[in-house]
Amino acid sequence: MKKLERIGLFILNIFFITVCFGVMVPILYAFSVSLNAGNSILGSDFSFIPRAFTLNNYRAVLFDQPVLLWLGNTVILAVSSVTISMLVAVPGAFSLSRLKFRGRKHIVKGLILLYSFPAILSMFAIYRLLSPLGLINTKIGLIIIYVGTMAIFGLLNLKGYFDSIPGEIEEAAGIDGANTFQKITLIMLPLAKPALIVTGMMVLIYVWNEYIYAITFMTGQSNYTLAAGLYSLQATEMSGSWPVFAAASLVVSLPILVIFFAIQKYMVSGLTAGGVKM
Amino acid sequence: MKRIITIITIFIIMLLPVGCGGSGSESDEANRAVKLTIWHDKEEGVAAALKEELDKLKPEIEVNLERKSGLTEALKLVGNDPKAAPDMYFFAHDKLGVYSEMGILTPITEFISEDELLNFLPMTISAATYRGEIYQLPIYFETLLFMYNRALMKDEQVPKTTEELYQFMQSGAGGRFGFIEQHSTAYYSAGWIHGFGGGIIDLDGTALLDNEETIRALGYRKKFVEMMPGETEYATVTVLFIEGRAASTIGGPWLVPTIRQSGVDLGFAKMPVVSETGLPIAPFSGIQGLHVLKVAADNPVKNGAIKEVLTLLLNPDIGVAMAKASGCAPAHLLSYEQDEIKNDELVMMMREMAESAVPMPNIPEMDVMWVVLDNLLVDINMRGVDVVEACFEAQKRAENLIRAMR
Amino acid sequence: MKHANQKLSSFYAWLLAIPALVLIGLIVVFPIFYTGYISLTNMNIFNWFTFRIVGFRNYFNALFLFDSGFLTALFVTVLWTVLNMIFQLVIAFTMASLLNIEKLKYRKVYKTLLMFPWAMPGYVSILLWKNGMFNSQFGLLNQWLERLGLEPVRWLANDVSAFVSSMVVNLWLALPFMIMIIDGALQSIDRSYYESALIEGASWLKRSISLTIPAIKPIIGPAVIITIFTTFKQFDVIYLLTQQVGSKTGARIHTVLTYAYENAFVTNNYGYSSAISMIIFALLLGFSLSARYLSKGENE
Repeated sequence: MKKLERIGLFILNIFFITVCFGVMVPILYAFSVSLNAGNSILGSDFSFIPRAFTLNNYRAVLFDQPVLLWLGNTVILAVSSVTISMLVAVPGAFSLSRLKFRGRKHIVKGLILLYSFPAILSMFAIYRLLSPLGLINTKIGLIIIYVGTMAIFGLLNLKGYFDSIPGEIEEAAGIDGANTFQKITLIMLPLAKPALIVTGMMVLIYVWNEYIYAITFMTGQSNYTLAAGLYSLQATEMSGSWPVFAAASLVVSLPILVIFFAIQKYMVSGLTAGGVKM
Repeated sequence: MKRIITIITIFIIMLLPVGCGGSGSESDEANRAVKLTIWHDKEEGVAAALKEELDKLKPEIEVNLERKSGLTEALKLVGNDPKAAPDMYFFAHDKLGVYSEMGILTPITEFISEDELLNFLPMTISAATYRGEIYQLPIYFETLLFMYNRALMKDEQVPKTTEELYQFMQSGAGGRFGFIEQHSTAYYSAGWIHGFGGGIIDLDGTALLDNEETIRALGYRKKFVEMMPGETEYATVTVLFIEGRAASTIGGPWLVPTIRQSGVDLGFAKMPVVSETGLPIAPFSGIQGLHVLKVAADNPVKNGAIKEVLTLLLNPDIGVAMAKASGCAPAHLLSYEQDEIKNDELVMMMREMAESAVPMPNIPEMDVMWVVLDNLLVDINMRGVDVVEACFEAQKRAENLIRAMR
Repeated sequence: MKHANQKLSSFYAWLLAIPALVLIGLIVVFPIFYTGYISLTNMNIFNWFTFRIVGFRNYFNALFLFDSGFLTALFVTVLWTVLNMIFQLVIAFTMASLLNIEKLKYRKVYKTLLMFPWAMPGYVSILLWKNGMFNSQFGLLNQWLERLGLEPVRWLANDVSAFVSSMVVNLWLALPFMIMIIDGALQSIDRSYYESALIEGASWLKRSISLTIPAIKPIIGPAVIITIFTTFKQFDVIYLLTQQVGSKTGARIHTVLTYAYENAFVTNNYGYSSAISMIIFALLLGFSLSARYLSKGENE
């Protein structure tokens, strides 16, 4: 049995290495382009190991562009959006999952249906909404947009997880005298840790990669986010250099990956195996 | 219970400053200087050249250049909002019809007299004119050029006519591809249509896709397309040319630095003449310049400053500086009396091209033509649809879309 | 406060939900109403700031758009959504299950690498695929084919292969999210469900279907439904790969949205475009309501 298992694991590892490589091909391509001297994404003799190796493109990204400033803007937006998202989604999802009140079912159904609206023209409406409030060209405006956009997902996703946590646990706590706040913070949240992390990660990645609102509503390079800055660097016909763009794309993605890697150990539920029967 | 209320209170407090957080950043100490904002979408070097010139107006007028991605869409949103709109923008001329119809532009002739524009290339002024009003102060322009790789196409081999070009392609003398261009994009095919005496849309917004000239041009061009690779977006064409797998191409001046950097011995030539008509291939040109927004013109404080800015930019030197930074050609005729321009082969070639090049139509209806013509070219060049049928079909679609604009 | 969760007043429940609902109201619901309002006006570039209500004229005009081209686009969209969702769910579930095998040591590394496509802005990835992978002259795929002595393929030139290529890119972009959702769901159910997958093989599959999937269904349900809608509305992948103005590849596959874009949104006629948005919205609502109705019928 042991041996069989070891062979199984070996095959599994090979499988994942292959899959990961497959998934990474376009990214490795970008990586190779970013290390290449010259100004082309294409070439008839591509190899993953660049022929004319250079780090200049990375230097150009880090020093010629205000990348640190953009990073700062992005971090501010991301941290605030994730925090506020959680602050509104957790009580909201708790309410939708645990508290029986009139109209609850309709809210849940209605929220999902809202996703079917083709939002191509929403930008205009949002502008009309934020402009009188003086929120155009401000970070607060963007944060409201981001939190609002992700709120449905956060509510529903958290609600789904909350629903899966057996009610008896909090009932017991209720008997012990815990109030709602304590129930949320002391019981639900530890149990729903994976859900919180997934939801937070979703918001984070959305904010990190969002560029349409960022470029339209923010003016001036110093207000750009990373994604917006990257967009402005984009290799167009008139300007732009593919290797620099490729380098910038990778630099932008890196923080997300680091966070994702670091956060995984918290992604295990407080619900221990076999602890509670479903 | 209390804590929940606390949380909610905290939340409300967090949302409160939203209302007043806004535009505080700009309220610097009450400086006497009039501040103007110009949006643009240009590379740093080009913007720096403009900025350097505009800094001469300091300390009375302080001009702030802001690079704006997605400039055209942003202007539609904020165009008449004094709080969010820029005072001027620096961009190609082809959107000015849209903005003029929207009512967010002011003619530059409200600030400078038409006489002062006499020294500009006529092409640039006609490009800046929409319904009889001039909305752009032209600074520089670009147009496509015939370029060849001297290693693959000798100077004496350069085709004078399209038939010569075709023979060169067929002879295989130029390597894998004798000639390539982005054959299935509206911008690049316009030159051929003009070469047959046709057009894409006329001044009053009538689509011309089912005209005999257009049909003949696209039908004739097909035999060239068949000898080019199927996929010819910008990156492919550039790389094929740079790698020496294509002997000649029609491309913009923005390509030149990249090509030269790659070590290709680059030659420029006049556009081949269409054998059938005797007219040269006449590509589109784009004129870059400054536009004034109505919200700024209506502001009595800014109005005077705008006049100063425009007057300063009438100076031929700025065209030279910006043309050099962008690789394009100045719009001001006097710029061409300067040695550094006179000795620049590329710029002089564009100056010559300006005689035949056609500015992109600036009427709003052109917006939909890009899409329709692109699709028409795909139909003819890549999907094998009959030319006449495809052109009639496209004309119908264009007419429908133009009607749908109103 | 005893037995509070049963007896808490509606007021209290609403209080907790209201901050989220207000934000959704502002950013999601308001634009829908606003679009509905604009659809009744003549807002276009000739009346950009001076538009007025013109009644249902735009809807009447919009009906002309719903011709055979639109019906084809609708069919393609449904096919696109169904295929994408099937592949996404099957692949993501398999990957997430395998990643949760307890003895897999480098799970964190694998998971992180698998998340990479998600960590980049979508348009970057799509451009990368288009120019780096699919380009017929220089793309990596064709370079590999050539090395194998095969003819190069123009991946994006014909409709079927362009559709498949777009689907590959879409899966590449969407799978990280789905894997993460299912992985998160698996984390919060009983571990013994899937632990033994490795040694049990076939019976693991059975257990997945009878135990694991029903257990995670309510958890991943909302995310899946949301993904169905986003897949239906997917614009960037197909548009940027095959139809971007100036670099069309020859294929002409339209989804409902790309079709509406080419045939309406380019006109800058916001009244007209809004009417079309509202009609597509109604169409989608109809779809999902009838799908729900049908699935309810099945369950009973």
